[in-house]
Amino acid sequence: MENSNHLFRFNLSMLHLPKSAKLRSFGVYLAGGLYAIGFWSIIDAAIYSKTVNASIVHVTFVDWIPFICSTLGMLIVNSIEKSNLFVDSNNSFSGSGGNTNAWAARVILFLGFALLAGGLAGSFMVFILKFLLKQYTFPTLGMGVSNIVCNACIMLSCITLWLSQNIEDEYSYNLAL
Amino acid sequence: MNPLNKIIFLSAFLASGFLLILLSCALYNNFKPLWVILIFLLAPLPNIVSSSIDNNRDDFLRFNSSDMNNPSPVQEFCKSLTGFLIVSGVALPLTFYHTNLVEFGSMLMSIVGGLIVYFDITIFIWFFSEEEDENDDFNF
Repeated sequence: MENSNHLFRFNLSMLHLPKSAKLRSFGVYLAGGLYAIGFWSIIDAAIYSKTVNASIVHVTFVDWIPFICSTLGMLIVNSIEKSNLFVDSNNSFSGSGGNTNAWAARVILFLGFALLAGGLAGSFMVFILKFLLKQYTFPTLGMGVSNIVCNACIMLSCITLWLSQNIEDEYSYNLAL
Repeated sequence: MNPLNKIIFLSAFLASGFLLILLSCALYNNFKPLWVILIFLLAPLPNIVSSSIDNNRDDFLRFNSSDMNNPSPVQEFCKSLTGFLIVSGVALPLTFYHTNLVEFGSMLMSIVGGLIVYFDITIFIWFFSEEEDENDDFNF
């Protein structure tokens, strides 16, 4: 490697995403679908706890907190304008305003990812503390499992949306300096 | 195939889709799967709205406005909303079946009927947007 301003020997730009507009829109559809799977998974757990539940354990507000965290995190992560994130600190064209903007964007992005990861971790915590430690058997355990499925699907949906928004068409001009 | 035949066949399919959903409610005397109709009727709506917004926007200083090189955030949000609604339409009867609110046959009929309704509307939009401009992609 002749240009040695990379931090690691394997740089990530070796790994190019395939460029096509159809793949991009398919990814966006897939993200919506994955979010729907997660959403319906937790709705299913809630209705199940109300109707055919044979045990005394019910889905309460505690089970909804991870879902709310994940959803907020996904909303935050995907509503950030991504061109703000990659502003170089020594880029003289962006001026003085661009730098603080990039910092704010990075902080908010960090918050969003923290909410997403916190949602997933919270669903595991609910599963372990509320269901696994009290040694419930499977029909009851299913409510905790669907909570995990819900949050994992929302995270996958967020990843899919992020990746597919970084796909650019090969004929589009990259005007960002 | 002339447009009249298309319209007749598509409306026949649409009617059969509605018939399946209504049968799934009426045969079991349980009218919860009717929500599937609402979801699948709403599913093509976001793309219609976003394409009409995109057509009415000012195209000055935008290269290649018609193709999908740089889809606007509104368009992408509408696409993901479409995906969400399609999967919801399938997942709602599954949830009902899992929670013993409807029977198995009712679930199957409402899913199939809802998918028929959705694809019928999609094909309708696609057929008649194809005549206006030739190189349009699947607009579903």
